[in-house]
Amino acid sequence: MTVFALIVINKAGGLIYNKNFHDGLNKISTNDYLVLAGTFHGVHAITARLTPIRPPAPPAGLRPEQVSGLEVLETENFRMQCFNTLTGVKFLLFTDTTQTNVDVTIRKVYDLYADYVMKNPFYSLEMPIRCEMFDRKLQSYVREINNR
Amino acid sequence: MVVYSFYIFDRHTECIYARSWLPQSLSQHHSSAPLQPSTASDDAKLIFGTVFSLRNMVRKLGGEDDAFISYRTGNYKMHFYETPANLRFVMLTDTGTMSMRNVLHQIYINLWVEYVVKNPLAPVEHKNGAGVKNELFELGLDQFIRGLM
Repeated sequence: MTVFALIVINKAGGLIYNKNFHDGLNKISTNDYLVLAGTFHGVHAITARLTPIRPPAPPAGLRPEQVSGLEVLETENFRMQCFNTLTGVKFLLFTDTTQTNVDVTIRKVYDLYADYVMKNPFYSLEMPIRCEMFDRKLQSYVREINNR
Repeated sequence: MVVYSFYIFDRHTECIYARSWLPQSLSQHHSSAPLQPSTASDDAKLIFGTVFSLRNMVRKLGGEDDAFISYRTGNYKMHFYETPANLRFVMLTDTGTMSMRNVLHQIYINLWVEYVVKNPLAPVEHKNGAGVKNELFELGLDQFIRGLM
C-alpha cells in the first residue's frame, strides 16, 4: 500500500499544494503541475455535467442535491481519489491500485488542512500553502500509511 | 448493472457511433436543469474532451505506457478502452459496475472487427458514422449489452 502524491486545487482551479511522498509517478515540472490542476478543474466540472440520470428535483423550498463530479480515477499504474470540499477545494490523492480505505485517508488530510492551514493566521486564502506544521504532520501521517 | 450509453470515437477525434439505452423520458433530463438543453452530439463532444484530457493527464503522470481505465462519480461510472489504432470506446454505466474494460475489448473484437472492419462495403474512414451504422453491428451490440444488464 503506497500513497504516491497529494495535490490541492483551490476553488478557482489553481494549484495551491503538491507533494510527492513516494516514487511511482513520473516527475513533472511545476509548470506541468499547474497545467494539470487547471485541466483537472475543468474536467471535474464536465464530469458532473455528463450525469446521465439526475436525482429527482426536491420538494419546493429545498435546494437541489449537488451532482458530484469525478471521485475516483483508475488507470493501469495508479488510482486517484478526488475529494471536493463544500467550499470547492479539491484534494487529489494518488495511490497505488491496491490501496483501500482512501476515503478515510483523504478525510484525515482534510482534517490536517483544516487544523494547520485554515487555522494558521498567516495563511491567506486561495494562495499556495506554505505551512511548516501542515507539511510535517502530513509527512508523518503518510509515512505511517506507507510503512504499514 | 445498468448501461447508460456507449460511444466510439475515431482517430480524428470524431464521434462515429453513439448509442443510448436510457428510457426516452429520462434522456431528456437536462430540460429540467437551469442549463440549456443539450443534444446528444454535445454530450459526445463533452465525453471526448473528458477522456482526451484524462488520458493525457494519466500518460503524463503514469508514463507513456499507462492507460486510463475508468472513472467514477457519485452518479455514474465511465469506462474507456483505446485500441492501438487510436480508436476509442467509451461506456457509461451505473456506479456499482465492475471494470468493463474486457467488455469493451470484446465489443472491439467480436463486433467491430467482425461487422465493420470485415465488411467490404464499409469505408476506411467512418465520416459521420458511415459503415458503422450497419444492421449486424447495431443488432449485435444491442443484444450484447442487453445480455449484460
